[in-house]
Amino acid sequence: MSTPVTENVYLPKTAILERVVCEIPEVKTFYWRFQDPAEQETFHRFRPGQFAQVSLFGVGEFPTSLPPSPTEDETFFTVRQVGSCTSALHRLSPGDQFAVRGPYGNGFPMEEYHGKNLVFVAGGIGLIPLRSCIVYALQNRLRYQRIQIFHGAKTPKELMYVSNLHEWEQTPGVECHLTVDRATDGWKGNVGVVGSLFKKRGVQVPVDNTIAFVCGPPVMFRFVIKDLLGMGFQERNIVSTLERYMKCGVGKCGHCCIGVAYVCVDGPVFTYEQIKKLGEDI
Amino acid sequence: MKARILARADVLKIVDLLRQQGYEVVAPFCGRGRDTYFDTVTDQNRDQVQIHLPNPYYPPKRFVFPHIERLLKLRRDNGEIHIEPTYEEPKRAIFGIRSCDVAGIYHLDRFYLGRDFRDVYYENHRKNLFLVNVACTDPSQDISDDCFCVCTDTGPAAHNHFDLQLMDLGYEFMAVAGTPVGEALFTDPIFKKATEAHVGKRRAILDETRKRFKTMTSWFSATVRYVSQGEILDKTWEEIGNRCLECGGCTYVCPACTCFTVSDRQIGPNEFERVRAWDACALGGFTRMAGGFNPRKAVHDRRNRRFFRKLAHHFIQRELTMACVGCGRCVAVCHGNIGMPTVVEMVRRATTEVDNEHPSH
Repeated sequence: MSTPVTENVYLPKTAILERVVCEIPEVKTFYWRFQDPAEQETFHRFRPGQFAQVSLFGVGEFPTSLPPSPTEDETFFTVRQVGSCTSALHRLSPGDQFAVRGPYGNGFPMEEYHGKNLVFVAGGIGLIPLRSCIVYALQNRLRYQRIQIFHGAKTPKELMYVSNLHEWEQTPGVECHLTVDRATDGWKGNVGVVGSLFKKRGVQVPVDNTIAFVCGPPVMFRFVIKDLLGMGFQERNIVSTLERYMKCGVGKCGHCCIGVAYVCVDGPVFTYEQIKKLGEDI
Repeated sequence: MKARILARADVLKIVDLLRQQGYEVVAPFCGRGRDTYFDTVTDQNRDQVQIHLPNPYYPPKRFVFPHIERLLKLRRDNGEIHIEPTYEEPKRAIFGIRSCDVAGIYHLDRFYLGRDFRDVYYENHRKNLFLVNVACTDPSQDISDDCFCVCTDTGPAAHNHFDLQLMDLGYEFMAVAGTPVGEALFTDPIFKKATEAHVGKRRAILDETRKRFKTMTSWFSATVRYVSQGEILDKTWEEIGNRCLECGGCTYVCPACTCFTVSDRQIGPNEFERVRAWDACALGGFTRMAGGFNPRKAVHDRRNRRFFRKLAHHFIQRELTMACVGCGRCVAVCHGNIGMPTVVEMVRRATTEVDNEHPSH
């Protein structure tokens, strides 16, 4: 065995789980750091919208969004328990080890959006990848014009990042609107799909010079796109991130290839104009 | 490129030369019936190495991109995880690789070593690889009814990307060096100077060989254009999809298919290995995500993707090679008869139908 000249892109680095926070049922946030501080430093230069590959010992590897903004100190994943790898992550306790490689993907071109209004529309756990952009935009508040956040969940209990939502609701210059499909637990706010917020009294969504970030389940995505286009948004000013089954994250394994794009290297961030051309279900 | 002449009886001495230089030489052998395969040359089987034979279905791709390959070993000790990559850097030569398969390996080079990320495992297999290409000149052995390398411009004699190319001129062979490593072999006395007459004979044989191909899909380039411009009707893809049995055979024999899956398997107490294995886009689970959502459900959608990935101009431009090298293996293994030439033919027919219905189209 000798040392290769080329860096091994498939080699994950060990990380330590620091603490776990329950967000909503089946969804937890895992705060972690690399064992090697140098590794942590390199990794921390990620862009909002990028993703990482997480290895669980004896189970396998899965891709997941990076919800923190690079302007924050801590690194964490927010993951819903769906398959074998995510379940294995959910079984870990603080102090346990796993492994991470990344960051991968193009991320949101936040610099290109300087001087624009930002409208974030997130359904359910669609807020996970958008959280990174929201926090990033708020940290660089003066570079952007109006910032609007629309977040919808099935029930009040399923609203994501509640402490962040409260914080954003209190932040001057940020319009944060929440809605739920079913009002329970004494919910006093809006009831209805995310799109219903656009028509609410007192809400005025800027269309000109605006970028709309849309993330959420496929049904929500389709309806929100219809609403936005109806309001006069141009397809190239609507951005989203795509999720695909992927093994490598570096454009080799082929699982995430749709149309002319490999989601892992050409995406996961695409404009709606691009998504339409790729021609596959969202 | 430099050319030399060697006697028919000396051809296998190239195998000996390479073995003396420390190469593990793999070469084609005949099995029972039509079966042919690549295997490592030993002192015992050396004389059975074949020059002219039907191209093995199992492509030599596996010598640079193994069917199943270990990437890492993962070990857990008292909660600590240790990850150790495992590298294999063989010094290997493939003797008798066909021109289509040379083009296949070049495609893999462009794919795995190009763009932003380089694949270190592929690179390790590739960096010491010596390719001895044998041009296909024997219509009864080398060229099957399914071959269409003349349409993909990858054969019958490779233009480049080999270290040494051999062509049967009858009682003699012509050797052409493609790289300095290949040329270095010419110092051996078995190689004699080539004359103008030899070069002329080579050209004449190639011209004659080109005429012996039965599958002439002259619509190949037109299909590339139609696929790239999205002009192929859903109906045509459905027709193609309806014939797919979803066995994945076409991808496993394809010298230019690159997809793989990765999984972790136990090799000892508290020890796992991460392996990658060839995967096939024809299989239903290829794009299925945790939770069950599958963006590609219908089989015709999957077929569409395979042919799109191989023929779309976007990818040809990106890799500067096409992911189809005209070897014809997919034709031979497909139970539904939707190998590449059939697909091209179906596209041609569908387009002609459209033209007949709408003459102004």
